[in-house]
Amino acid sequence: MSSSTILDERRQDGAEGFTPRTVPLGRRLRRGAAPWLLLAPGLLVLGVLLLWPMMRVLNLSLQDYELRNLLRGDTNYVGLENYVDVLTDPFLWKTVLPNTVGFALVCVVLTMVVGTVAALFLNSLGTVWRSISTTAIMVAWAVPALTGTYIFVWLFDAQSGLVISTLDGLGLMEAGSYNWFTNRWTFYGIATINVVYHGFPFIAVTMLAGLMTVPREHYEAAAMDGATAWGRFWNVTVPTLRPIIAVCVILSTIWDFKVFVQIYLMPGGDGANPDVMNLGVWSYTQSFAQGEYGMGSTIAVLLTALLLVISVIYIRTLMKEEEL
Amino acid sequence: MNRRTPASTAAKAIGVVVLMSLSLFPFYWMLSTAVDTSPLSRGASLLPSGFTLEHFRYVLVDAGFLRYVRVSLIVALGTVVLSAIVALLAAVAVARFRFRLRTQVLIMVLMVQMVPLEALVIPLFLQARNLHMLNSLLGLIIVYLGFSLAFAIWNLRGFVAAVPRELEEAAYMDGATWLRMFRSILLPLVAPGLVATSVFSFITAWNEFIFALTFMQDSSKYTVGVGLRTFFTQNTADWGSVMAASTIITLPVVIFFVLVQRNLAQGMTAGAVKG
Repeated sequence: MSSSTILDERRQDGAEGFTPRTVPLGRRLRRGAAPWLLLAPGLLVLGVLLLWPMMRVLNLSLQDYELRNLLRGDTNYVGLENYVDVLTDPFLWKTVLPNTVGFALVCVVLTMVVGTVAALFLNSLGTVWRSISTTAIMVAWAVPALTGTYIFVWLFDAQSGLVISTLDGLGLMEAGSYNWFTNRWTFYGIATINVVYHGFPFIAVTMLAGLMTVPREHYEAAAMDGATAWGRFWNVTVPTLRPIIAVCVILSTIWDFKVFVQIYLMPGGDGANPDVMNLGVWSYTQSFAQGEYGMGSTIAVLLTALLLVISVIYIRTLMKEEEL
Repeated sequence: MNRRTPASTAAKAIGVVVLMSLSLFPFYWMLSTAVDTSPLSRGASLLPSGFTLEHFRYVLVDAGFLRYVRVSLIVALGTVVLSAIVALLAAVAVARFRFRLRTQVLIMVLMVQMVPLEALVIPLFLQARNLHMLNSLLGLIIVYLGFSLAFAIWNLRGFVAAVPRELEEAAYMDGATWLRMFRSILLPLVAPGLVATSVFSFITAWNEFIFALTFMQDSSKYTVGVGLRTFFTQNTADWGSVMAASTIITLPVVIFFVLVQRNLAQGMTAGAVKG
């Protein structure tokens, strides 16, 4: 479809000075407009669905935009008032930001540690067991965040979940005596297990791919020099895999900062319990539960800004390693 | 470093068992709860108290979960088809042409993948509302197209670039047109990549929750993820049904994902070289 349009355009301008017949279309496609025509639908979609809404959310963040503005279709600019409100709100500093940043940091560290240990272990296995274990890890990766969260909620169910039943059986806690989802710390403890479970397979598989490229001689040379396994890991593996580790850390950081589903779907996580809100949930409930779309947008912009900084670091790291 | 002492073999065996049980346990717990005759009184027993398909029957027939499955299937397949076409065109552009701003386009594609989708719920919701696209399957498909596209372009780019240029040149030598070359050379060689990319688009659309929750307010248009919430009442949950429905959502994703991972690796290493 698009290729015939290209052909027509080329024939019409005819500036090349040779007859179109003798030069294959592919050659001419390589010139000028062709790549842009091929890119047009994709760039249009990304522009309309991602870039334009980004502008829009920035615009909304400067307005006191509520349900009535939505119904009337008018604007209500208030300058930076929303930002001042959000940034001076103790709720942000005491609850939301610690929940977001603290949780993300703990998750990134744990995901990296578990993923790396799994990768090192997989690397030491023979081919058959390695591929069987890798498939098992893939299952953990594939379980959707949505259903994965419900599984962990069920495991930690206060009445008849596996965890409380086990503790009850051991005589440590009585079933139904305590609801873990109402306490901020235990709530995020469960969320951490959920996120690490969902996130470590990516790290393990990526690190494993990297580990398999490290030349064996490097380890042997280090072993000759009397390095212990621990020393070999820090002096050979880590420096060689530095770029891969950097990418893993940054991607995990981005993912763990914007965790939404895994919090929202936990009991009380949908805004019912303000103690456990993070930036994503706060933004969502401000908009869709309170109808404060302007305020919700402001929080969304702050979250995006936070992620943008991390993304820039990521791109720069990647650019050093791979020529695009 | 393959010391084959009994101790290290035993340690590895234990390691495999630990790794596999940790990875598979939540998945197993979901499956076994879904077929348990009385999941709420199962306690700490690792085996279900009995086997039944009653939860599945209840979920699919009585609770009408099949309706949500149908909506999700339409949305996901629509996303897959649109995303495959648009991404393939763009991937050919960035992998086969050298043009000004090419690197910038690639960086932009990479950057938009980082955009937190949660931040776009508000503007896209308002936009969809103005365009009367709320409760519309097409509206959701278009949104998911936007989300899956960046990754699809990025992923396909590698597959297109892996097809040796000489094969294309040879086709032209034989007098093939660009379209003919595309159909007979490029498309078959990129097919594994296209399959893998499509599966990822499918999973993106199938798993998505926030937009489905916000856009689909009419219960007849719920996707599987949003429909799952209907099994929860104020304080209690019917865990047998929830896990049966979760199984229905999870199983196709897990199967697809595990299959494609192999395909992906294969396509990247062997695909194009064999010609």
